[in-house]
Amino acid sequence: MAGNGIRIQGVRKRYGSGDTAVEALKKVDMQVAPGEVVGLIGPSGSGKTTLLKCLGAVIEPTAGRMILGDEVIYDDGWKVRDLRALRRDKIGFIFQAPYLIPFLDVTDNVALLPMLAGKPNAHSRKRAMELFHPLDVQHRARAMPSQLSGGEQQRVAIARGLVNRPPVILADEPTAPLDSERALAVIRILNDMARKFETAIIVVTHDEKIIPTFKRIYHIRDGVTYEEAGEGRGFE
Amino acid sequence: MRGLHVQRSTLVVLAVLIPLLALFIYVALRSGPLAPVPVRLATVEVKSISPSLFGIGSVEARYTYKIGPTVAGRVKTLNVHVGDMVKAGEVLGTMDPVDLDERIRGRDAALKGAKAQLAEAAARRDYAQTQARRYEQLLESGSTTEEAVSTRRQELQVAGASLKAAREEILRLRADRKAIVAQHSNLQLISPVNGLVVAREADPGTTIVGGRTVVEMIDPESLWLNVRFDQINARGLAANLLARIVLRSHAVESISGRVLRVEPLADAVTEEILAKVVFDKLPKPLPAIGELVEVTVALPPLSPAPVISNAAIRRIDGQLGVWEIINGKPHFTPVTLGFGDLDGFVQVRKGLSAGDKVVVYSAKALNAGSRIKVVEHMPGVKQ
Amino acid sequence: MISLAGRDIMHAWGKFVFTGLGLGLLIGVTLSMAGIYRGMIDDAKVLLDNSGADLWVVQKDTLGPYAEPSSVYEDTWRGIRSMPGVARVANVTYLTMQVREGQRDVRAMVTGITAGRPGTPGWPPYLVAGRQITRGHYEAVADIAAGFKLGDSLQIRRNHYTVVGLTRRMVSSGGDPMVFIPLKDAQEAQFLKDNEAIRQQRRRTASNSMFNPPGAPGLLEAVIASQSTNPFVNAVLVQMKSGYSAEDVAGSIRRWKHLTVYTRGQMEEILVGKLIATSAKQIGMFLAILSIVSAAIVAFIIYTLTLGKIREIAVLKLIGTRNRTIASMIMQQAVALGIIGFVVGKITATLFMAPIFPKYVLLEPLDSVRGFFVVVAICLLSSLIAIRAALKVDPAEAIGG
Repeated sequence: MAGNGIRIQGVRKRYGSGDTAVEALKKVDMQVAPGEVVGLIGPSGSGKTTLLKCLGAVIEPTAGRMILGDEVIYDDGWKVRDLRALRRDKIGFIFQAPYLIPFLDVTDNVALLPMLAGKPNAHSRKRAMELFHPLDVQHRARAMPSQLSGGEQQRVAIARGLVNRPPVILADEPTAPLDSERALAVIRILNDMARKFETAIIVVTHDEKIIPTFKRIYHIRDGVTYEEAGEGRGFE
Repeated sequence: MRGLHVQRSTLVVLAVLIPLLALFIYVALRSGPLAPVPVRLATVEVKSISPSLFGIGSVEARYTYKIGPTVAGRVKTLNVHVGDMVKAGEVLGTMDPVDLDERIRGRDAALKGAKAQLAEAAARRDYAQTQARRYEQLLESGSTTEEAVSTRRQELQVAGASLKAAREEILRLRADRKAIVAQHSNLQLISPVNGLVVAREADPGTTIVGGRTVVEMIDPESLWLNVRFDQINARGLAANLLARIVLRSHAVESISGRVLRVEPLADAVTEEILAKVVFDKLPKPLPAIGELVEVTVALPPLSPAPVISNAAIRRIDGQLGVWEIINGKPHFTPVTLGFGDLDGFVQVRKGLSAGDKVVVYSAKALNAGSRIKVVEHMPGVKQ
Repeated sequence: MISLAGRDIMHAWGKFVFTGLGLGLLIGVTLSMAGIYRGMIDDAKVLLDNSGADLWVVQKDTLGPYAEPSSVYEDTWRGIRSMPGVARVANVTYLTMQVREGQRDVRAMVTGITAGRPGTPGWPPYLVAGRQITRGHYEAVADIAAGFKLGDSLQIRRNHYTVVGLTRRMVSSGGDPMVFIPLKDAQEAQFLKDNEAIRQQRRRTASNSMFNPPGAPGLLEAVIASQSTNPFVNAVLVQMKSGYSAEDVAGSIRRWKHLTVYTRGQMEEILVGKLIATSAKQIGMFLAILSIVSAAIVAFIIYTLTLGKIREIAVLKLIGTRNRTIASMIMQQAVALGIIGFVVGKITATLFMAPIFPKYVLLEPLDSVRGFFVVVAICLLSSLIAIRAALKVDPAEAIGG
């Protein structure tokens, strides 16, 4: 299912129209293979967030083509009718802050996604629990989010991103609130998970600490992506 | 450690919600119209009751004497005041005689004049007689005429009549004087009996018409009570029954008395029967005339019978009855009632027997489907 | 699927319960308002029930005896008693006045009941303590709402009455407790004022030379005596024999006796329709306002709660939660709040508010059921604003805050 990772070709996004139109994305081309973690780096206003929103199927690009796994989801228009289901089943989200649902415990925060997909509660919880061990939060499975440390919360958020085994995970500044040691730990986990679950992971960041860890980096500047090789340190 | 958190919060929530819910159910079922009606029961007892009659009346005097002049006049003196005890024949006061004494003196003078006239008339007649006799002799002797003799005879008759008239005039004047003297003596207001002055309605100097009362007297020994009993509650009222009398001014103690008589005429307007009640012994000080009294007349005790409190009696669909408790449920039992006493006990002639349980108090009107709760103390009733 | 609303409530149950308590007090007031309205109608009905009458015979062309003064001669009953269909008749007087007991006085409706036995029209139909009146004078049966107890000595006008029995829920249509005294005393009380007024009247009469001419001893006394009697009662209560139609009997009394007669239905119409109509409207307005206030509060609370969760809602939407799920979460919370509020409201209204209101509060179960549905409906409607706000949340907000 996760055969082809994600491929983006010539995606453009224009806000507004006429004289006031702003071209946020001019030409975006990206390709991330399953099991690969790439960095997406750019200054503020470069179009990072817009790109992430387009990838996350919450705003519609103006033109281009996006292929998720082996499914063309966008080709000058959405090719998928239920974007909500697409987001739920095919895309994992990890945010700058963990954004856990405060009134659900750790297990249900993660199990909520399969539940929303209509899976039975027990099955959903089992799938969530399977992720806790590799993420080292198994001992906090019944805790409420407010009782967790920042790192634990972020690991639970990663588990939530992974739980439906999406072909792609979009991570928006996942390390921003963490110190460098924890930040690196998160990146290590993301790499492990990418490999383990054959998931393509795009990490949007401007965190200098973690940039050297990527093997491949996309820079985005004025709505245009440029690919370059990263240092890929620390995860051989 | 694990799971404890959720359990604890769940427990806390339950600890709040369950009592709330329980309270809610209690409130919904146990109060308001769905709640059972609190009732108090009583057992039908067999006992003897003494019915009594209750009436109110006022203190009255059996004999009242209103004393005043028979003719119009002015009050001259009045020697007694309200509250004075007076004796029979005692002069209470006098009316101003105005000109009566002068009129008596005038009559006396007239009498003297009349007597003088009588003497003159007698003298005239004696002379006329002498003259008549002399002329008759002269006629026999032929020295005078027949005509002159008859003139003398007529003069004698006139003188005789004048004498008679003078005598009658004296009699008339004597009677006249007597009348004025009698009138004079009637100006005295005299007590007819030994009694108590209760009103003094005019003071000296007041001019009053004949027949108007100046002094009102009663015979204190004759005080009695005019008592009114509602006709509907007067069954058994008869003379010689014992009565307990409570004066409004001495509400705490009662005085014994008895029914003197039941008036044959009832008050048709107020639907009351009137009776006269007398004190066994007159209280001292005397009660005020017109004071309100409450009189309770005791009737002889009745033979024992089942009795209930009158608070248990209900009327449903025109029928008198009680709510009898049968198998824990209220059941309306029609009853026929007998006599009752003033404490609220009523004999039951038909419908109940001793030992039956009946509802005496209920917080609401009952019906056959009412759920009841027997209580010892009715809610809301102050002790 | 787990219940998001339930989890949220469990998570913030303290906030919920306290909000529910606050709302509950408001609902309690609303229920009490409805209860006061029902109580007023019930006051009117128990007044009619307690009189035990099928027909009320009153002065011609009046709405008496409760809604308008009425006086008929005290012997009118004799003629009515003999009409066909009449089983029992009784004179009755009603006068709302101050009744003194010791140092305090209580406003009460003094009811003069004709002499007889329990079950006579006008007599209190049931007691909660003591006994019925047995003496023809100076005994009273009072309602516990007046605060008297057995053995108390009441002063009504010039006379003292001993409380021998207590009733419950025997009130005038205005909610004043009733005090039953023998009819003759009541007639006197209705007519005679205080001692001072009586003396004044005697003096006025004495100073009128028409009534006190010279040369006519005894006339003044006769005039004063005739002034001091009261041959009137306020109404004649009639109980009918079974098998007669109230309307027929009323019709024949109207026709032959030249009096106005009301049946039970007409009397209720007068009391409910005329006497308490304005108060009822007032309470209706209060109910409407309280409902609007409750709705506004629920809407505001739910809206605030929802706004506090905007970020979570955005995340939920981003990870694929359907709008339906989110809307139902908010709606469930609103309804839960409403239910907590209703439960609390019902409890407070019944246990705390109803007993302390000076007027009778009748909480009818059917009103409670109705109230429950209204509360739920209000909560559902109020949640719509919050739902609209939640649905407008853009899932994109979760990205790149």
